[in-house]
Amino acid sequence: MPEEKNPVGKYQPMYYAGASGDFNPIHIDPEFGKMVGLGGNILQGLCTMAFAAKAAWNYAGDPGALKHLKVRFAKPVKPLDTVVVGGKVVAKEGGAITLEIGASTNKGAVEVLTNSVATLRKA
Amino acid sequence: MAVDPKFIGKKYPTHVYEVGKEKIKEYARAIGDNNPLFLDDEKAKASKYGGIIAPPMFVVVYAAGPLGQMFFDGELALNFMMLVHGEQEFEFGEVVRPGDVITTESEIAEIYEKKGKSFVTMETISKNQQGQLTANARWTFVIRG
Repeated sequence: MPEEKNPVGKYQPMYYAGASGDFNPIHIDPEFGKMVGLGGNILQGLCTMAFAAKAAWNYAGDPGALKHLKVRFAKPVKPLDTVVVGGKVVAKEGGAITLEIGASTNKGAVEVLTNSVATLRKA
Repeated sequence: MAVDPKFIGKKYPTHVYEVGKEKIKEYARAIGDNNPLFLDDEKAKASKYGGIIAPPMFVVVYAAGPLGQMFFDGELALNFMMLVHGEQEFEFGEVVRPGDVITTESEIAEIYEKKGKSFVTMETISKNQQGQLTANARWTFVIRG
């Protein structure tokens, strides 16, 4: 699966909050994020997951091909990070493809999604 | 403070969401996805889908209502300030389109402690107006300390 880079702008958590409805202050309020020990505001995990999902359906060439996606949010993504999503095919069965998915920041130094798997259904 | 496992099995009221085309576009743009199937009427019309569809991950928009109910459930009393997302799983069914009316049922599936943290998992099942499954989901949250 080709790698996809997703630059996270300073205000990306706010845009994502508006679109998704997830206005948890840990995502939109840097002061609150500091107060609760996160070092600032962090991107919504589901936004990172959406980057992973996008890479998987782009690989399939059809968003409707994404049958299953499971991720573990290992480390937070912060504004101004770049999330790099990659993956490899681990199984092919009856036209369905299973991909192991990874996502990292800081030039690969921080794994933000681990134990993550996508399944693409037969077209 | 530990979350009481007696709330496993608790259900929240049925959540109904009507999908709007502009909301689909807003969501697609917010995840940096310029796929014409989500954004361009003409190109989407010419595709096998015959019109604009929602990205599969749009499930977070139509199915998340019960999560808010759980987060602020006075009986469950989660410490929302210390809550972060731990794991997420989706099984996708029918494609979602503008005008669909999606009904989501929810239930607390798991509550447990691990390494001094509380884990709470909600399961949701979402179906469209024809009763077809659009997505099953498992949402796992961690309350840190």
